[in-house]
Amino acid sequence: MNRLLRTIAPILALLGLIALAGCAHKAAPAPQPPTSSNPTPVPTPTPPTTTTTAPAPTPSTETATLHTEDLQPVFFDFDSATLNDQARSTLDQDAKTLRDHSAPKLVIEGHCDERGTAEYNQALGERRAQAARDYLIAAGVAAGRIEVISYGKERPFDSGHDESAWAKNRRAHFTIGS
Amino acid sequence: MSLVGYAAALAVGFALAATAAGAAWADMPSDVRIDIRSDVVRRIRVHEESLKETGNRSSPAIPGLQADEVLANDLDASAVFTVSRGWTGVPPIDVQAVIGGEWNVSGGQIKLTGQIWDFPARHPILSREYRGPASDWRALVHRFADDVVLQFTGEPGVAGTRIAFVARQGTTKELYVMDADGARLEALTSDHSIALSPSWAPDGSLLLFTSYRSGHGPRIFVTPATHGPVYLVSGRPGNNTSASYSPDGREIACTLSQDGNSEIYVADARGSSLRRLTNNPGIDTSPVWSPTGREIAFTSDRSGSPQVYVMDRDGGNVRRLSYEVSYTDSPAWSPKGDQLAFVARTSDGFEIDVCKADGSQLRRVVSGGSNENPHWSPDGRHLIFASNRDGVFGVYVTDLDDRPPRRIPTGDLTASSPAWSPRLHEPRGVGSADRSP
Repeated sequence: MNRLLRTIAPILALLGLIALAGCAHKAAPAPQPPTSSNPTPVPTPTPPTTTTTAPAPTPSTETATLHTEDLQPVFFDFDSATLNDQARSTLDQDAKTLRDHSAPKLVIEGHCDERGTAEYNQALGERRAQAARDYLIAAGVAAGRIEVISYGKERPFDSGHDESAWAKNRRAHFTIGS
Repeated sequence: MSLVGYAAALAVGFALAATAAGAAWADMPSDVRIDIRSDVVRRIRVHEESLKETGNRSSPAIPGLQADEVLANDLDASAVFTVSRGWTGVPPIDVQAVIGGEWNVSGGQIKLTGQIWDFPARHPILSREYRGPASDWRALVHRFADDVVLQFTGEPGVAGTRIAFVARQGTTKELYVMDADGARLEALTSDHSIALSPSWAPDGSLLLFTSYRSGHGPRIFVTPATHGPVYLVSGRPGNNTSASYSPDGREIACTLSQDGNSEIYVADARGSSLRRLTNNPGIDTSPVWSPTGREIAFTSDRSGSPQVYVMDRDGGNVRRLSYEVSYTDSPAWSPKGDQLAFVARTSDGFEIDVCKADGSQLRRVVSGGSNENPHWSPDGRHLIFASNRDGVFGVYVTDLDDRPPRRIPTGDLTASSPAWSPRLHEPRGVGSADRSP
């Protein structure tokens, strides 16, 4: 019996390794095969290769991709670039999301409703984006990741001509850049 | 012949000789002149005769009735004339002059002979030949119309100028140009981005504009007014917007936020050698030069809401233009130097007001719907602007009289941000000369 085990064990170990390597093909480095004399314990998979068969441990940082829709925009009062309470609360959440993930670049867009002139609104839109940016930096988001772009009233989210449309357009909007 | 007959013959002879010598306006009856500096513009009634076709009548190059329309439109749009086209019964008693002439085509070249006669005596006042390629017949008509205005006011008309504007197509905005009557409309950009705020060079050769074509924030670019490459003028961090040339074309005033806040700067014509003019935590934007180049008007919200201010070209002596209106923006300085136009906020959007350069004599000149981006014509007689008075935004002109603004057709393009070119040099190949009648 022992002799049988001694013969089979390395084969079993090897099979176990192959099973663990699973769908990780050419790109992923294969773990070191054990020497045939010692049934080497199964190495823990590092770096984590994405396999569909073997479960991988939950990553602590960095691997979940941050999407634009993960960040909530903040809205402003008419003719204003001041953050109100709702805006600050939204930015607190956005700051946490940004601290928990690394993203290559964050673009903060400033937008206005249609009621000012085009040129004044380009400046006001920038004010709004800057207000959001400054708040996020104070909340621990790295300044170097952030670009501010003001679109003034040129890219409305709602093309209506009433207060409900205008309110949607007075915003600082976040997009994840690359 | 009697002594009176001799005198009459001498008088007519003098008139003809003076005309033939090219000094056509030296002996014009004084009652057909108007004072162009008068605030009240009373239109002169003239009658336009259909231009006669001479030479090869079957040539398709003769523009025919179309040219009559272009001429009548130019004369009416000048705000100097009321134009009648056909006699029905007795001609109106107050017709002061008859406008007409002839076309002649020869080998791809077209010759327009433009003529003015007084009425009712039909003494010739002007006879001038305009020549050019047949494809440029519109330019010849516009030249003649501008000469008719010159004849009666002492200053040429603006029929031969161009309009730059921005057309929205879906989510993008491109830069376009067209003749002052809406003809020869063409796109100058196809960047599939957002172009804004076109501004002409004083010689009409270039257009400054703002664009998002770089993929970053708004930057200032320049392009030839007749197709050509786009060059970057200012791409500094933050906003680069609202550029306008100084009257001598050597400098550009613009709005930059590179120091963290929208301020007004002056650069050289290439966008270098910056000097900062405003230093204020408020938004300062929309700088425009006075025609002398000694002052700059601009918009600032330093008092709490946007207002038009004026400062010296070095940034000193800042003064608010008007205290009579609560929210003003988009200043435009008349080429005559004596007036500024600007927008004032209303419940519907904006109206357009005009006042003297010292802020006095404020009056509303355009209202109804929302009216934005006023710019003066080079003769200071008209304001062009964007308005949604008929539903969607289009280009309109007001003659600062009691008539409603008229629309410059832009096809089915939603148009905004119009800018009126300076008077342009004659197209190549187009020439004119006085002719003995």
